[in-house]
Amino acid sequence: MLTGALAADLAVNGLVTGLFYALMAVGLALIFGVLRIVNFAHGEFYMVGAYAYTIVAARLGVPLAVALPTAFLFGAALGWIVERTLMRPLYANIATWGLMRDEYAVIVTFGLSLLLVNLVDKAIGPYAFRAPALVSASRIVVGPALMSGQKVAAAGVTLVTLAFIALFLRFSYWGRAVRAVSQNRLGASLAGIDATAVSSLVFALAGGLAALAGALLSPIINASPDVGAFPAIKSYVIVVLGGMGSILGAFIASLLLGLVESFGAVLVSYQYRDTFGLVLLILFLLFRPQGLFGERGREV
Amino acid sequence: MSSLLSVEGVTKRFGGLVAVADVSFDIAPGELVGLIGPNGSGKTTLLNIMSGHLFADQGTIRLDGEPCTGFKPQRLARRGLMRMFQLTRIFPRMNVLDNLLVGGRALGLHVDEARERADALLEELQIAHVRHLDAGQLSGGQMKLLEFGCCFMRTPRLALLDEPFAAIHPTMKEIMSTFIRARHAEGQTFVLVSHDMPVIVELCPRSICMNAGRVLSDGKTSDVLAAPAVIEAYLGGAAA
Amino acid sequence: MSGDIRLRREFIATALLLVMLALLPLVQRDVYWLGVLVVSAYFAILASSWNLLAGFTGQFSLAPAAFAMIGAYGAALSATYYSVPPILGLIIGTGAAGLIGLVLGRIVMRLKGPYLALTTLSFAEIARLVASNSINITRGDLGLPIEGWFNDRVLWFYVFLGALAFVICGLYLLLRSKAGLFLEAIRDDEIAAARSGVRIVFWKTAAFAISSAAAGFAGALYAYFASLVTPELGLVQQTGLVVSMTVIGGMGSLIGPVVGAFLVYVTSEWLRDVGGWQLVIFAALVIVFARLFRTGLWGLVTAALQPRRGKPA
Repeated sequence: MLTGALAADLAVNGLVTGLFYALMAVGLALIFGVLRIVNFAHGEFYMVGAYAYTIVAARLGVPLAVALPTAFLFGAALGWIVERTLMRPLYANIATWGLMRDEYAVIVTFGLSLLLVNLVDKAIGPYAFRAPALVSASRIVVGPALMSGQKVAAAGVTLVTLAFIALFLRFSYWGRAVRAVSQNRLGASLAGIDATAVSSLVFALAGGLAALAGALLSPIINASPDVGAFPAIKSYVIVVLGGMGSILGAFIASLLLGLVESFGAVLVSYQYRDTFGLVLLILFLLFRPQGLFGERGREV
Repeated sequence: MSSLLSVEGVTKRFGGLVAVADVSFDIAPGELVGLIGPNGSGKTTLLNIMSGHLFADQGTIRLDGEPCTGFKPQRLARRGLMRMFQLTRIFPRMNVLDNLLVGGRALGLHVDEARERADALLEELQIAHVRHLDAGQLSGGQMKLLEFGCCFMRTPRLALLDEPFAAIHPTMKEIMSTFIRARHAEGQTFVLVSHDMPVIVELCPRSICMNAGRVLSDGKTSDVLAAPAVIEAYLGGAAA
Repeated sequence: MSGDIRLRREFIATALLLVMLALLPLVQRDVYWLGVLVVSAYFAILASSWNLLAGFTGQFSLAPAAFAMIGAYGAALSATYYSVPPILGLIIGTGAAGLIGLVLGRIVMRLKGPYLALTTLSFAEIARLVASNSINITRGDLGLPIEGWFNDRVLWFYVFLGALAFVICGLYLLLRSKAGLFLEAIRDDEIAAARSGVRIVFWKTAAFAISSAAAGFAGALYAYFASLVTPELGLVQQTGLVVSMTVIGGMGSLIGPVVGAFLVYVTSEWLRDVGGWQLVIFAALVIVFARLFRTGLWGLVTAALQPRRGKPA
């Protein structure tokens, strides 16, 4: 039965999980908003971050405070490279794909996902790596819930990062440029904004955020080549629920999904806890494709 | 005279904006009607409603007396209502001949019949020499002619042409006008949306002028073009 | 080139390829390599079915592996619980996959591009999770054993090759008819297709149903070959392989998926002994082909063999 204490504990845990989801989902929403594609290789940025952090911190003995930003930078660099080399056909109207830009994006990011997973599998090895925890305290009381120190620390870093992103988008020049390009690429570039640079920025940012998520969670979910598959699917669900392209929507939907899964695992089925999100995704795409906060597009 | 197409009280709102306001008119078989009006007058929205791409909030549309409001474009096509788009839509990765065959076969023609029709159309529109090219490789004007041809694989009951003469070479314009005139002489019904006044005057005995979603004037083209309200709509108050 | 002629050339090329493949067991008797060829043929059927939906109709579903899995379970479950003979098991597997594909196709009717990809991906994952978690019925990840049909690998290769030939012939006949025109029209421009009178709902659903049924057929056949059905058949990575094979071979051509499947799988097994970087190479190839050679290997071959005609003046 659902007691108050249990509910509170589930709620806090759900929200914290939601925060981690948000790091992935916000990046994905940014990419969709600016490039209008779903990045099927998003989970691999998470994976790259997990490995970067683990290798740098555990193998090279770099202090954790440096290892985290390093992971972020790794993801950002990868994102930037991917955008520059693979995403140009999307807006350069290169004749080979022409009208099928969506399909190109699906194939290319799918292929990229396969490439990264297998590359890491071959180059580093298929086994999971253990990473050092950020904080060694094992149990900390957070409100009504009991959580590992690692989780609390990770949540803290996540909150700070998300807040920074929000401020960046709201007040900085490039943040506003990102918002302008998501609304109207052509209009923004006519107004003097370098839309291509914004695309690169956004891909880099999204890559960095996903990598950070991978890094933060690597002590709990150890790095392995296919570690990114799960978080990726969660972030697809969230971006659809929140409304493709809406950052706020992605954030809120992340928290919601965290809560739904947390409560659903206890109240409905632990086994099928991963399917709740998937079912929600399908339902939303069918009945409310604009999600909670997205916009409907026009066709003819 | 029984009407082929009757539009009754059609209204369409987009949020607070009324794009089409209580529009009514009848088109008799064999007419060639011009639909004119300044930008934003609701012509394209009305056309979209007539061709099944949008649903009217109010009003009815009848084809041959049978209500057909809310029918999907493919259903209207099978009823004989063909529409040509302002921004050319063809099948870029299929060759020119196949582009035409799609419409023919979809509307019930057999393979040989469809091929014959397609060949005849290609000849008449003078694009037979590119029949084997992929439609995506054609020039803009050729694409327009192709889309135009696609509307006539099976003789339509009513052809809705949305700015067919926009941005094309005069030669191609001439090919299309000749085609339209020839079919009209055979009794084919057309609604022609255009900004090209000389063409409207040349081809359309009757015109309907819209502005701000309403029908301003409906009648003989020369009368409509002389109406003060119409002149005002196009040129502003001072010119009236 | 006329669509008709192009299709006929592809069909003839495919037929020749199949004949060449049929001669392989005369020179290669090794059980292991025969097994590799059988699995390649399995992928060839699966890739061809996906190509119908994605390459010819433009619907990028990420669920082909899931439908193969459904077909396999359809056969295995009916064999295990109802002791049906293999032929019936094949029919049930194919039918189940086709039916579910029909329903899914109807449901995702309005979705395009990434939305369609996401929905089909979710469906595929749900299907796999259900298969994996229904331990009472399917034995979950342990796998459901199914009585093998016969053991002769050479015979199995010819059965699969025959099945592939059957599927290819079916696709050829379908694409040659007005269905081919309609599906490609839907792929190129759905709105223009509607305007021309094509019944979009019917044909899109039909494409989904036929594609899924073919995938289920491949899966059911594989079930009897492998004598074990596990949820691993429906993993996203399997779909990844199918997509890779089709892209590398040439999407939107009859022969592309077959070429891609055999090339990718055989080479991958061959390189497995040598170093094992095959999957990395193939993934890289997918990206390169997507980026630069949309028409795949087959497109490159035909372009090389034919002088390019320019636009008329």
